[in-house]
Amino acid sequence: MKRTGVFICHCGINIAGTVDVKEVARELAKHPGVVHAEDYVYMCSDPGQNLIIQAIKEKNLDNVVVACCSPTLHETTFRNTSKAGGLNIFCCEIANIREQCSWVHKDKSKATQKATKITKSAVEKVRRNESLEAISVPVTRRALVVGGGIAGIQAALDLGNSGFEVILVEKTPSIGGHMIQLSETFPTLDCSQCILTPKMVEVSKHPMVKLMTYSEVQDVSGYVGNFKVKILKKPTYVDPDKCNLCDECTKVCPIVVPNEFELGLTGRRAIYIPFPQAIPASYTLDIKACPGLMPIACGKCADVCDVKAIDYDMKPQIIEEEVGAIILATGYDLYDKANMAEYGYGKYADVLDGLQFERLCSASGPTNGQILRPSDHKEPKEVVFIQCSGSRDPENHCAYCSKICCMYTAKHAMLYKHHVHDGQAYIFYIDIRSGGKGYEEFVQRAVEEDGVLYLRGKVSKVFEDREKLKVWGVDTLTGKHIEITADMVVLAQAMRPAEGAQELAKKLKMAMDKDGFLAEAHPKLRPVESVTSGMFLAGAAQAPKDIPEAVAQASGAAAKAVTILSQERLHHSPTVAKVLSNLCTGCGMCLQVCPYEAIALKDGKVEVNEVLCEGCGTCSATCLRAAIQVRNLTLHQVHEMINACLGG
Amino acid sequence: MAKIEDLKEEARKLLREGKIKYVIGYAGASNGWMACPIFIKKPEDVEKLVWDPTCVHNLSRFLVDEKRRKEREKQPDKRPVGVFVKGCDSRAIVVLLQEKFIERNDVYILGISCENGGVVDEHRLAGKLEGKKPKKVEVGNKGQFVVTTADGKAEFPVEELLAERCLECRASFPVISDILSGEKLKRTVEKPFGSVEKMEGMPKEEKWRFWKEQIDKCIRCYACRSVCPMCYCDECVVDSINLAVSADTTAEEKADKVKWIQRSAESSENFIYHFVRAIHLAGRCIDCGECKRSCPLDIPIRFLNKKLEKEAKELFGYDVGFDPAQPSLISSFRDDDPEDFIR
Amino acid sequence: MAEEFEPKIVAFLCKWCSSAGSDLAGVSRMEYPPNVVPIQVMCSGSVSPLYIFSAFNKGADGVLVSGCHPGDCHYIKGNYYARRRIHLVKKLLEFVGLEPERFQMSWVSAAEGTKYTQVIKEFVKELKPLGPQIKLRRNS
Repeated sequence: MKRTGVFICHCGINIAGTVDVKEVARELAKHPGVVHAEDYVYMCSDPGQNLIIQAIKEKNLDNVVVACCSPTLHETTFRNTSKAGGLNIFCCEIANIREQCSWVHKDKSKATQKATKITKSAVEKVRRNESLEAISVPVTRRALVVGGGIAGIQAALDLGNSGFEVILVEKTPSIGGHMIQLSETFPTLDCSQCILTPKMVEVSKHPMVKLMTYSEVQDVSGYVGNFKVKILKKPTYVDPDKCNLCDECTKVCPIVVPNEFELGLTGRRAIYIPFPQAIPASYTLDIKACPGLMPIACGKCADVCDVKAIDYDMKPQIIEEEVGAIILATGYDLYDKANMAEYGYGKYADVLDGLQFERLCSASGPTNGQILRPSDHKEPKEVVFIQCSGSRDPENHCAYCSKICCMYTAKHAMLYKHHVHDGQAYIFYIDIRSGGKGYEEFVQRAVEEDGVLYLRGKVSKVFEDREKLKVWGVDTLTGKHIEITADMVVLAQAMRPAEGAQELAKKLKMAMDKDGFLAEAHPKLRPVESVTSGMFLAGAAQAPKDIPEAVAQASGAAAKAVTILSQERLHHSPTVAKVLSNLCTGCGMCLQVCPYEAIALKDGKVEVNEVLCEGCGTCSATCLRAAIQVRNLTLHQVHEMINACLGG
Repeated sequence: MAKIEDLKEEARKLLREGKIKYVIGYAGASNGWMACPIFIKKPEDVEKLVWDPTCVHNLSRFLVDEKRRKEREKQPDKRPVGVFVKGCDSRAIVVLLQEKFIERNDVYILGISCENGGVVDEHRLAGKLEGKKPKKVEVGNKGQFVVTTADGKAEFPVEELLAERCLECRASFPVISDILSGEKLKRTVEKPFGSVEKMEGMPKEEKWRFWKEQIDKCIRCYACRSVCPMCYCDECVVDSINLAVSADTTAEEKADKVKWIQRSAESSENFIYHFVRAIHLAGRCIDCGECKRSCPLDIPIRFLNKKLEKEAKELFGYDVGFDPAQPSLISSFRDDDPEDFIR
Repeated sequence: MAEEFEPKIVAFLCKWCSSAGSDLAGVSRMEYPPNVVPIQVMCSGSVSPLYIFSAFNKGADGVLVSGCHPGDCHYIKGNYYARRRIHLVKKLLEFVGLEPERFQMSWVSAAEGTKYTQVIKEFVKELKPLGPQIKLRRNS
């Protein structure tokens, strides 16, 4: 039988005041397998620890139980003590007889009995512990960032600047994301493009960053430190190295489709550059719009291209990369106006969403910065802004608050007043949520300096009425019905996870919340980590957030990724699940309950990826056959602990 | 009323063409009056197959044995096995598929709908016949049961002879099959958990007295386990012989096994055995009633399973054995699973 | 007078919430009856029904399973599986006539030292009038 030593700490009078430590030692000495039991005033002191080391050597102990304070305090201490005595760290267990016994009871005899049971339970456990070493795996010291908006750019820059190679994948032809579409940003009203383009240039020229635009992540396998990624590089049919941006191709292209960058406010050709500052600065031939990649179908762009940059034979490429960490910054899209029955299903030309209004305000936008009605290009004199359009409406739309709309609507109203001095802006709101540095002051400025009229209430209906828009609402503060005949209505549409982000998350086996945003590992303490080890979250992919928050989270995610990439090897606790494959029938129930995708079926049996497993043991309680169990907390161990706890 | 002539023809054809390895079906009683399982390998033997209300066995159990056999053989015959199933039996196959114990093309399912009938309960029949020995039980042209004894034929309404589980059955036709005989009749069962509800209504101590009396009878012959198609584990956890043995495992360590229960058939140990069995069948038991039927002590084991089937349905909206793609009861949850029992 | 009956209770506490909550009760020097012997498990989701049956079989008068509140599980969702599994076990035990008071589940967070204390106090109080649990207890 394994030889166990038991060491009972007085903790001054903290334990000894309520528990008769001598009695516990006497009782334990009688327990089968216990060859040594002693008490000492402070086990964690140097002399106390030396007692343990000495006993391990003199009594030839196989394992040790220290009955003392909570394991959260001194488990590491005493495991290291055991190691110093020549034992594996798992040959030491703690019996918590202070927090869970002496400190909460008064009756000395009963507390002593309880302490004895707790200690015996630890003896039964430690006898059956396996000696284990930390699991160690090498790390591929490069990262993948998915999404080339501000969050992805920031994360890629931070990683690159930390000295790690980064692959930045963006699905559209240019990086920049939604931020590049914005006119000015709250609360400082600095020009969005002016502050973003330097970062775009920096990331594209960064020696450590490999930029892959017009590309999509197709598949990710592997695990933390060792992911294998397949990236689909879609053909642009234009060689960026040859293209000299002469723009002759767009002039001859016969096809016009809505311009995504301008949110359909203008058109673009089938061959196009998304916007003047696009990075990479090159053209893309939109295969969906193009009549056909052959001279017979059209071929005008290739004809006119002097430098022969257009190559109809360009093929999609699958590029395989290995990375150690992944940051997802897939961003958001606005909730489609077409969902808003009450506001005309997005059919009225002068009912815009927030991003469209940004384009109208933007100096580089379709109206060169003049705010004009899309329908007749007249200057709107009365504009109604509707907040929470699609947000905070669990019955019909999205239940959550999209967080940034209060601020950008105030900004919109302000920008409108700066453009149209004699105009009137109305804002319908439910609440004003302006938490943030300088945010409340900004809203106040809109009211006080720009005379924006805030109306507390919801708009029930918007409809067209002779070139104008009738807005019916209620001011809930006065209880009055309000009708405004407006020239333009701007809807602060809810933020949704970006199109395709959910499919990507499924491919990456990343958890999502009920709204489809990527789920963080812990809402408070691990906000930038995903449930899957080695994958991190940045920006609006995780939840609606504004630019500074997205940037902060991106830097946080990058820093978290660095904690992995900066190591040669990753170390992981070895108390993970193990499969008794002779009992496993491959039913896969454990696989279904595993929160970490750490279990996989192979040849009719399950296997545990020890790097991904966190040792929670939910698999072991689910298995009907006891075929999967957590090392050093097996069913057998718990069975014996139960026995000891009941005095058996 | 389902006729199995089509199924027999199909079985004959499949055997002739060598598309299936053998057929598991029901044959007439060699001794007595109850149908019994038969394994048919030759097309000419298909004639022996019968279908009547005494076809009580859940033949899907034999798929478990078939799988074991294949695992043992070096070059196993991987052709599918034909199996006759009733509604309940077919749902056992669904659970076996759900748990990836078998694959769909391991089995050729010959489904028979019980329609408005089901199988007879031996005890109820004996009660009706007052000592007379039945020779044959058939379904009459009006759906009634016709029992032949030495004294001639007697007719009974189905409700009087059906097994209790058949009276509570909500899906009397196979939910999965390659060929089906009989109609997919939707039947409305007023109280699908009536028998369990009756027991739930008993006062606590009366419940305990009832179950103690029943469970005390158990001789731990494990017939309930052997007959159950869901008890396909290589080793039952209550037998506690599992231990990972390596070269340096000492004799003492080998002896140090987890003993969840003692082997002796004491009341407490019997209870734990039946609890473990019931909880391990939660969301898996399809109420074929074979455990109860095979129990030599007539312990109403079925109620324990039926109770958990009821809770799965009522608490978690979980139906057993209809969808091979659905996650198992205990390996899934809903955010709003009830928790009023939690402090 | 005979000594008052002191129920023996086994409590399966998850490491991250309930065991930490129990530690907090200790740090705060809250007092509760010494009838409960805790067993720390990693997650309430790891509590096998076998543990519960076994505890009663080995003479527990009461069994408690305690985990993190829904949404707070350290392992994201283990407590949701526990909630379903434990509910089924509870229904089964009650079905054969075991007193429902004997088997309980609670959510106790790491900050809820007071709640842990309360849960234990009430548990002990409810078990005392029931006397020893002999229904499932092994005799030998």
